[in-house]
Order: sequence, then structure tokens, then C-alpha cells
Amino acid sequence: MSNSTSNTPEKDHKSSYRAEERRTLSSGEEEFFFDVKTSDMEVNMGPQHPATHGVMRVLIRCDGELVTGSQVHLGYLHRCAEKIGENVEWLQYLPYTDRYDYLAAMNNNLGYSMAVEALMPGLEIPRRAVLLRTINVELNRIASHLVAYGTYGLDIGAITPFLYAFREREWIQALFEKICGARLTYSYIRIGGVFNDAPPGWLKEVGHFCDVFEEKWKEYRDLLALNHIFIKRTAHVGVIPKDMAIDFGLTGPMLRGSGVDFDLRRDMPYMAYGEAYEAGAFKVPVGSGEKGELGDSWDRFYVRVEEMMESIKLVRWCLGVIEDGPIIGEIPKVIKVPAGEAYVGIENPRGELGHYVHSDGGKVAVRCRVRGPSFTNIAVVEELMPGTLLADSVAIIGSTDIVIGETDR
Amino acid sequence: MELQAIHDTLKAAGVVGLLGCDEPRPANKKEKDPGRAGMPFLLVDPAEIVPLLTACRDESRLQFDLLIDLTASDPAADGDDLWVLIQLLSLKYRHRLAIKAHLPKSALSIASATAVYRAANWHERECSEMFGITFEGHPDPRKILLPDDWKGFPLRKDYEFPTEYHGISCE
Amino acid sequence: MIQEQADAVLGHPVHPDSNVFVRILEWLPLPEIIPGWVVTFGGVMLGMSIFLAVMSVLVMFCVWLERKVSGHIQCRTGPMYAGGWHGWAQSLADGVKLLLKEDMIPKDADRTLFWIAPAIVLGSIFGAMVAFPLSYDWWFGRMDLGVFAILALSSTTTIGVVMAGWASASKWSLYGAMREAAQVVAYEIPLGLSLLAPLFVLGTFSLTEASAMQSGWFGMKWAIFTNPFLLPAFLIYVVAALAETKRAPFDLPEAESELVAGFMTEYSGIRWSFFFFEEYAAMLLMSVLGAFFWFGGFESPLTGALRASGMEDTSLVFSLVCFGTVLFKGFVGIFLMMWLRWTLPRVRIDQVMTMGYKYLTPLALFCVLGAASWEALQHLIFS
Repeated sequence: MSNSTSNTPEKDHKSSYRAEERRTLSSGEEEFFFDVKTSDMEVNMGPQHPATHGVMRVLIRCDGELVTGSQVHLGYLHRCAEKIGENVEWLQYLPYTDRYDYLAAMNNNLGYSMAVEALMPGLEIPRRAVLLRTINVELNRIASHLVAYGTYGLDIGAITPFLYAFREREWIQALFEKICGARLTYSYIRIGGVFNDAPPGWLKEVGHFCDVFEEKWKEYRDLLALNHIFIKRTAHVGVIPKDMAIDFGLTGPMLRGSGVDFDLRRDMPYMAYGEAYEAGAFKVPVGSGEKGELGDSWDRFYVRVEEMMESIKLVRWCLGVIEDGPIIGEIPKVIKVPAGEAYVGIENPRGELGHYVHSDGGKVAVRCRVRGPSFTNIAVVEELMPGTLLADSVAIIGSTDIVIGETDR
Repeated sequence: MELQAIHDTLKAAGVVGLLGCDEPRPANKKEKDPGRAGMPFLLVDPAEIVPLLTACRDESRLQFDLLIDLTASDPAADGDDLWVLIQLLSLKYRHRLAIKAHLPKSALSIASATAVYRAANWHERECSEMFGITFEGHPDPRKILLPDDWKGFPLRKDYEFPTEYHGISCE
Repeated sequence: MIQEQADAVLGHPVHPDSNVFVRILEWLPLPEIIPGWVVTFGGVMLGMSIFLAVMSVLVMFCVWLERKVSGHIQCRTGPMYAGGWHGWAQSLADGVKLLLKEDMIPKDADRTLFWIAPAIVLGSIFGAMVAFPLSYDWWFGRMDLGVFAILALSSTTTIGVVMAGWASASKWSLYGAMREAAQVVAYEIPLGLSLLAPLFVLGTFSLTEASAMQSGWFGMKWAIFTNPFLLPAFLIYVVAALAETKRAPFDLPEAESELVAGFMTEYSGIRWSFFFFEEYAAMLLMSVLGAFFWFGGFESPLTGALRASGMEDTSLVFSLVCFGTVLFKGFVGIFLMMWLRWTLPRVRIDQVMTMGYKYLTPLALFCVLGAASWEALQHLIFS
């Protein structure tokens, strides 16, 4: 017979049938029952499973629909990014940064560039480059959050918002294509600045995009985030209390969804963010437990939705202050980085992307460590799963918004 | 808070295992010193890592409540030490702390930080499989990114690339 | 009594004593040497083929419509190339593709059950469709208890689904099957109860008679307008029908983001297309059933006008109008189902169960009671 319901070895059924048992309920009432023991079922969610957003494997132990335990298995997309970083020149490594969080390649470029720049004390980054970096990084953040929005809708079963989100993302990608020629792996932000100036009319089109997106954003919010079924599916699901979020080292929207008001862009500013925040260009959305409990999946999701709007405001501010000027600092053809070590963390769409670079003064790095936010954020899933339903486990994984390229690097 | 101030605060709190600060310094051509650019690190004794992290987390003037990163580095193939590098972040005071512990290659063992920060769990697993460092007291010392049967520690400088894996040529 | 009433409304018996098979046999110029049983057998076969062909074309149209509707909802165009005009031949092309695809059976699967399951699913849903009259004059199977037949046969598909899920030797498929079983059992009750309300109003189990009972008011005496309790009953019916047909937001047995197609994960090619067919056939079935018991069945102002102009109910034009009317109503229902599917997220299994048992069932009972009381009151007052 074809029966693969259980991975666990068959138990002695005689011993699992207990005779008539008696227990006292909390009401004082006595209850008799036959306790029929059933064994839990272990199912593999992944490596090929749409809910894992890539090639991750979650081993789930279920009692019917109820999840009783889970274990995350990573490494299916491990591409040795850190080892490659020790073997290629500084600038050559830049395209590899595109490939860990492939949904936010601009942010990765920026993180790596800033880490290397931290080792080059005399290097000054021109103001136009700073603003172009900020604009592109924020646009990329919107694109990334749009994917998070759309795919989370898919996880919950709403297919249409995904296509709406991708329509806007397509526009952002077209904008990126105009400025750097690539649609996914940009390598646009270089050590010392950016490699290409905005083509004529590009900034104007970005402004137009912001106008259109603001209107669309309201529709998207109402369509999915405030949908009753969606709220029912995500509120009170996968609750991460504040202390647990901190203990697990969560960053980004995962941390803010739990009510911790911390954003590297505001609290440890880099690029033009400090100035923008002073000018009141953006706020930091924090989860409030509005629809359920503080730190549930809905809060995390909604933080991302709101962040898209804040990014639009930031882009608008940058468009207002940007001026003509050089776009890259004085960088030699073959970059030699002075000896030293630096760790720079920036706010990626998924949390803190950290780069630890160690140079001995040569053409290649001694150590190039990448601290991907998804890697730390997904660790909390094992903790959240037990006690939820199978459908909730999908909602929980989706709410962490992981990119497997980054967890596995 | 600057690193020196953090160091002093920890010292004042009676934390043992502090070995000083690894500060950036400008290059000095006369003494053929290439200098050291970048960011300062707090040098600590690997044997005292757990009480030190606990102090960093609980000391009211520091409150490093987030363990951002835990990794290692093999600075030189012929060197004697591996470095264990820890990045801490304080949400309240908005400062960072970079900790560096020199771990002799002859005894690659350090206490696990999972009891202090649960975030260290996966970072230590990764660090362990990549560098061969044993984290004493780690609750789940499996490999994480590499296959379970992987030989060697890939991020060590003396790592030799395998020529085949399960009959698949890697050359 | 009801039949007499219905006959009185139409001016002739609602069931002419011949069905489509017999008509075809009478129409064919057969030589007399062919034995009677051959004629009968051949006639039945021919009739069945016609029936299957008609239903298959309708279902294929549904599939094409789903693609177009979803496309336009999602700012796409849907199929545009196959066949030329707006990709009308897309379903045909898909059908050919599915026929030519490799028919794979997993190594550990229970082959017998794996083979039988799609047949049960498709057979039962087409069996249920036999109960549908195409017009007052055209029908395939005479069913005085048509509603019972439809409900009974359409829930038989569950057996096929559970079989498929079990036989696939895949845990995810088994989950799909479990969910299907739980969901269908939970929603069978409100579905049946919500249908009871219009049955009270119309006083008949027969679809033809139900339609005839709604032929007053120039073809607009639809049941839903005659009794205030039928609107809530219809809403319950819509929800229950969505759950019965496994359509979003109740597509838990398939749940492509959780179970990855659930019970049909392991199916491929033409076997898989049987399940696909079943889904659309069930949608058609539920929509048309709703049209018959709430929205006048064959009746519309058009039939009212034709009747006023003195046209016979049995004439060809009138039959075509009836068929077109009921199909149009059915497709409005199908469009609604598609609209919901492409708008709403999926609910969770415990929410599905809670809604079915805790809310819909008592509400449906209330509607039945209300509709029955209203009818009784009407009788007391007006007669």
C-alpha cells in the first residue's frame, strides 16, 4: 500500500491504546476518554516550495494541520561570496554584492562601497554622488518592498496584488536600466561614488514615478493590507515580542514590526539621510499592534508598506536638493585600499547589511565578511512555528521577507 | 560612545579580559608602518568572552542589546591566530562595539555566546563550519550552509579547494 | 399540486414525454432491420457524446474566460495568440498539450486508486450535469428530484479527490485531500439548507418546474424577489458554493502557496486536466443551480416578451432563448466567482471550519425557517 503519512517508525500500537482513562477538567468535571496516540508527520517544505521564496528547506513536524516543530535547513544557494571576496580585486567584487540580496542590489553595492570607503580616509564623495546614491537606494527599497508586498500576498493566497506590485517594480527597473543599463544586478554604486550620471530627464521621470506611485500605494494598501481576510490571516500570527526580537538580533522591518523604534538611516545616519531627516523628509514607521498584537505578521508587513511611502518622500527630498557636479571621487583605476579593518552596517530593505572588510594594503581583501539581514531574521522562524497551523507557517516565513541569496550568500 | 570610553566603562565595571583597543593609526613611512585605517576594535581575551558580552549587554551605560554579527577571520595563512569578531549595537545609545578576540590556531575553542544573545546561534554555526572553531556549549552544533559531509574549513587561508565532490568534478 | 400549478402557468405539462436522446433517435432515418437494442444503445451513446461535447465546450469556455478575466483584473490581456481572435483557441491548445504530455505516476503511488480517482471526479460532476434541463423542452435525464441528484452527485467528487490525495503517496497531497474532505463535509450542510429556502418558496425539487414557477411578472417573478429571506439564503449559498467548488477564498485543498496544488500535485497531463475540468464544471453547476432557484431559471423579460407574443414554449426559438438565458445567468455567477478569486486572499482551515459550522449553518437554518414562515403567512393572508 502506498502510505507515506509518517516518517517516524511504527510504534507498538497495542501500547499506544490505553485503557479507559479518566481526567479531571479544570471545571471540576470528570472526563473519560480513550487516548488514541497518533504519530506526528514530518513534511518538507522546500527546497522547492513557493512559500520558502527560493531554495530553503523547512522541515516541519505536524500533528494534522497543527505544527509542532520545525527546523530550517539552509545552504542550497551557497555561492561562497565571502571566499570570492578574498580572491578578487576590490572593484571586481562589486558585481558579487549584487547577487546576495538580488532584490536590493543597489543597497548591497552601497554597503560594500561604504565599507571599502571607510578604509580610504582621504576619499571624498561628491554631493551629487551622495544624492544619486540615496535616490537609487530608496527606489530600490521601494522595489524590494513591492516584491515583499506582492509575494506576501501570494503566500496568503491573493494573486492579483502581486502583479500590481510588479507593474510598479517594472517601472523602477526601467528607471535603473536607464541610469545604469541593468535591471537586476546594477553594480551602479561604485567605490567613491556612482559610475554613471543620471541621463537627461531621468530625475524628472523619477519625480513622475513618485507622483503616480503615491496614488497607487493607497490602492495597494486598501487592496491587501487592509483586506479583512488578510488581517484575519496575519494578525496574531507569528508574534515576536520586543525582547525576543532584540534577543534574536533582528533588524530592519522585523525589528520595527515588533515596536522597536530603530532605523540606521535615522539613528546612525549615512549618505544624505541625516540631512534628510533633519529636513523632515521621512519618518520611521514602527509596528503598533493596530490589527492584532504588537509584533505579529501584519505589523511587520505593514511597516514595509509604510516604508515605501517614506522612501517616496525621501526620493522627493533628494530630487529637490540635487545639483550638478561630479559623480565620483578621486579613485585610481586599480584600487589599492590602505591596510585596516572596518565594519559598516547600512539599512537594507531587510535589515542591517553589514560588511566587514580587512585589507592588508593590497589589491584584494584579506577577509570580506557579509552579514546578511535575512540570515539572522530567518533564525527566528524555528521559534515561531510550533503551535501554529500549517497555513500560518507560510504566513510566518513570508512575513520575514527573506531572500535566499542573502541567507546563503 | 567612542571605543575608548566603552573600554573605560567596562574596566570601571570590573570586567576582566580586556586587552586594550585596536585603534586606527596613520601610516608612518619612516618606521615602515603601513598604518591601519578603518574602525577601532576592542581586543579581548577569548577565555572571558561570555562574561564580557554579558557585561556589555547589561551595563546600563552601554546596553548593547543587539548582537549584529559574529564571525571569524584568518588574517594570514602562516599566522598563529584566528580572529573572532563580534559586532554589537546598542539601540538606546546608538553606538556600536566591535570586539576582536585572538584565538590561537592550536586551540580553536571559545565559549558560545548563545546564552547571552540567541542571535549568536546561527552565526556560530556558520563560523564553526567555515573556520573550524568549536563553540563550547553551543546548543545545536550542526553545519548550516555547507553539506553535512563537507571536509575542511573553506574560509581558512590554508584551505585546499577540493577537486571533486561526490564524483562531481570541481575543476 | 405544484406540478399542476406549473402546468397551468405554462399552459402545457412541463415535462414533455421525450428527452433529447429519444428525439435524436426519432429524427434519424434508421432502416428497420437494425435491432431495437442496437438503436437504443447507439442513441444513448450518441446522446451522451452530444451531452459531453456541449458540456466540455462550456467548460473550455469557462477556462478561457477565467484567463481573460484574471488577465484583465491584473492589467494583462490574457491569451491573445492561439486561434487569432483574443486567443479563443487557448483551451483547445492546452487540451492538446495536456493530451500529449507524459502521464506520470509516482513510484510509490497506489496505481489503481491513482487511475480511478480522476474518473470518479469527472464522472460524478458530469453525472450531476445530466440533471440539468437545457430548456422546457430539452433535457437529458428526467429528474423530479433534480436538486437531490445534483447535490448527491456533485459531492461524490470529494471521494475522488480524497482518493487522489491518498493514492499520490505525497504528504502534501494527503493534506489537500484531508482539507477537501473536511471542507466539503462542513459546507454541504449550509449548501443544502440554503437551497431549502427557495425550495419552500417554489415548492418543487425539479429544476424545470422551479423555473416554470418563476415565470410570472413578465418573466421577472424570480424567487429572490418574492421572499425577503431568500437574499440571505442566496449569500449563504454563494459562500457554500465557493467552498464546495474549492474556489478562492476557499481553495484550501489546492492552496498553491502552501500545498502546491494539494491533491493534484502528483498528477500530470490529461489526468490532471480531469481535475481542472471538474473545477470549472462544478462552478458551472453551482452557478446554474443558483440561477434556477433564485434568479428565475429560464425566465427573463425576454421569455416574457416571447410568451406575450404568443410563442409556444416548445418551439425551437423559445428553447434556444431559454438555454441562452440560463447560460447567461450561469456565466454571471461564474464571473462573480472569478472576480472573487482574483481579488481575495485565502482563508485558513480553522476559519473555514468556524464559518461553516458556527455561522453559516445556523444562519441557513434561520433563513429556511424565515422563508417557510413567510410563505405560510402569505397563504394565511391571501387564501
